[in-house]
Amino acid sequence: MMEKLKLGVFELTGCGGCALNVLFLYERLFDLLEFYEMGEFHMASSAQGGGHYDVGIVTGTVSTHRDLELLKNARNRSDYLIALGTCATHGSVQASVELPIREKLKAVYGDEGNPMKALDSKPAVEYVAVDLAIPGCPYDKEELYQALMNIARGADPVRPDYPVCVECKLNEYECVLVKRNLPCLGPITLGGCNAACVRSGLGCIGCRGPLPGEVNPAGEYEILRGLGYNGDYIVRKFKTFARWEP
Amino acid sequence: MIIELHEFTRVEGNGRAEIVVEDGEVKDVRLKIVEGPRFFELLTLGRHYYDVPDLEARICAICYLAHSVASVMGIERAFGVEVPEEIKLLRELGLIGELLESHALHLYLLVAPDVLGYSDAIRMATKHGELVKEGLALKAFGNRIRELIGGREIHGINVKPGGFGRYPTVEELEEVERQSEALLKLAKRAVRLFAGLGPYGERAKHFVATDGYLWGERLISEGGEPFHYTERIEERSLVYSFAKQGKYNGESFLVGALPRLLLKAKMLTPEAKRLFEEQRERLETGYVSYNNLAQAIELVYSLERAGEIAKTLLDRGINGENVPVEPGEGEGIGYVEAPRGVLIHHYRTDSEGKIVYSNIITPTALNHAMMEASLLKEVRALYGEVGEGEMVKKLEETVRAFDPCISCSVHLVKL
Repeated sequence: MMEKLKLGVFELTGCGGCALNVLFLYERLFDLLEFYEMGEFHMASSAQGGGHYDVGIVTGTVSTHRDLELLKNARNRSDYLIALGTCATHGSVQASVELPIREKLKAVYGDEGNPMKALDSKPAVEYVAVDLAIPGCPYDKEELYQALMNIARGADPVRPDYPVCVECKLNEYECVLVKRNLPCLGPITLGGCNAACVRSGLGCIGCRGPLPGEVNPAGEYEILRGLGYNGDYIVRKFKTFARWEP
Repeated sequence: MIIELHEFTRVEGNGRAEIVVEDGEVKDVRLKIVEGPRFFELLTLGRHYYDVPDLEARICAICYLAHSVASVMGIERAFGVEVPEEIKLLRELGLIGELLESHALHLYLLVAPDVLGYSDAIRMATKHGELVKEGLALKAFGNRIRELIGGREIHGINVKPGGFGRYPTVEELEEVERQSEALLKLAKRAVRLFAGLGPYGERAKHFVATDGYLWGERLISEGGEPFHYTERIEERSLVYSFAKQGKYNGESFLVGALPRLLLKAKMLTPEAKRLFEEQRERLETGYVSYNNLAQAIELVYSLERAGEIAKTLLDRGINGENVPVEPGEGEGIGYVEAPRGVLIHHYRTDSEGKIVYSNIITPTALNHAMMEASLLKEVRALYGEVGEGEMVKKLEETVRAFDPCISCSVHLVKL
C-alpha cells in the first residue's frame, strides 16, 4: 500500500467555517482519508500536532501575533501550503474595517489599549507565499476536494479563471443585474461557487474576490451608477470581501 | 503562580484557560478567548440595511442563519415591518435546520469521542462507524434545510428583510417532511447515548431564553415575566479576553438547550416532551453538563417540528410573496435562539435605512461567566489530585458542554 500524505489544518482568526467545511465533505472525507493521514486539526481533534506535513491548509486572517506565529510555523512545516477561504486569500469582511487597530479596539473594548496583541486583520497570503489559493466565503467544497485529489495524484490543481457570469449562463439563471437591476458583482468576481447567490435570485456579493487578469471594476462601477446606486454604496460593496479599487 | 493551559480542542474557535494558584490554593480560573477580534459592529456601521444580514451571517459558520434571522428581525422591527405566518414558518424551519446541524456536529463529532474514549471522531470511526455516519446524516439533513432556506449550507444570503430571495418548492418541502420522519429514530438513539453523561461543571442558578421557542419578542428567565435585555443583562470587557462577559442582574447565568427545555417545556413536540419528562429530574439539577442531554432531546424536537412545519406549508400552499420594506429612522432588536443559546442583534437606523448603532450579544459571551464558574469548580476538585493532562481533558469536557462558539463571541461593541 502506498504511503499516505500527511495533512494538517491550521486555523487563524475567522468564523470557523473553512476548517469545519473540510469535515463536511461527508462520505468524500473518507475517500480523501484513503490518500491522507489527518494530523493536527484542533477544531476536530484533540490529537496534538508537530512534525512535517506534506500538505498544510491554512484558514482565516492574521489578526493577532498568535495567528502570525501559527502561520509561519505552518509554512515552515508544510511542503505544499493551501490558503483556503477568502479570509486567507483576500482578508474577507473582517479586514474591511479601515480604522487603525488602536481605534478599533478602543471602540469595542474601551480604554484598556491592546492587551492581547491584536493586529490589523490581513490575509495569510500577505505574510507567506502559498502554493495554492482557494477563495470563497465559504469556498466550494468540490473545489477543495478536487484540489486535494489532484495533489495526491501529483497533478497541478485546476484553477478557475472565469467570472461568476459564466456559471450563471451554464445554469441558465436569469441575469439579475440586467433584468432586475440588482447590484450584482458577478461580472468581476472569480467563479467557482456555481453562482450560489444568483441561484437564490439575488445579486453576487463578490465573496470570491476579483477575477485575476482583465477584470474591469471601473466598468462595473459605471453600470451600477447607471442603475442609480450611490457611489459610496458601490465602493463599500467592492471593498467588503477583497480590497477592490473601482 | 499562574498555570497556562494549552488551547482547547474540539471547540469552535480559539480559547484557553489559566489557573491562578496562591499558596497551593486555587484562587481563580480565567477563560481566555484568544481568537482575534473581528469588529462586526464597526463593519455594519454606515451600511445600507439590505446588505447587513449577509455580512452578519459571516460572524459564524455553525450558526450563520441565526445571525441572518436575528439581523433581519432587528431591521424589520426598526422599520415597523410585520411579516406573514408563511415567512415566519420558513424562518423557523431554517433555524431548526441549524439546530440540527449544529447539535449533530457538537454531539457526535465533538462530545461522543469523550463518551467513547477517543481523541476525535475520525479515529472513533474505525470502531463506531455507524454512530459517526448517523451523526453525519443528521448534520447533512440540517445543512440541507439551511441550503433550502438560507441559500447555501454556510453563509447563504437568501434570508432578507421582508422575506426571501427564493422560496422552497413543493418537492423540497415534501423531502423535508419525509426526511424528518426517517431520521427520528437516530435522534431517539442519541438521547439514550448522551443520557449516560454524568453531572459536572457548575449548577446554574439562572436560566435565560427567548419567549418563543426559537425566537421571541423579548427574553424570559425562571420568573417567566418577559423583559428586554437592556433591563437585566449587562456586559463588561475583560483585560484577558477578546470576548466580553454578560451578567444577569449581576450574576452568572446559562443560555442554551438546557434553559430552553426548562423554561419552555410546554412548547415541545410530543415525543420531545415525553423524553424531557423522562429526564426532567436530572435536567432540573441545572448542571451544565446536562446541556448535552438537552441538545439530544432537541434533535428529536427539531425533527418533529420540521415535519410539522413542512406539512402545514404543504397543506396551505406556498404563496412566495415578500412584504415591502420602507426604510426609515427606527430602533429594533432581534432575539433568536442560536443553537447554543440567546442571540441578540440590536440596531438603530437613519432615514435612509443605514445602520447608525449596532450591538450584537452572542450566547458564548452570555455564558462566559458561567463557564469560568464551572472551570473553577472542576479545577478545585482536580488540582493536586490528577496530572495536568488528565485535568485539561476534564476541563475541556466542561467547556465543551457549553458548546461554545468562540468565533461568534469576539466582536462585541459598546458605542
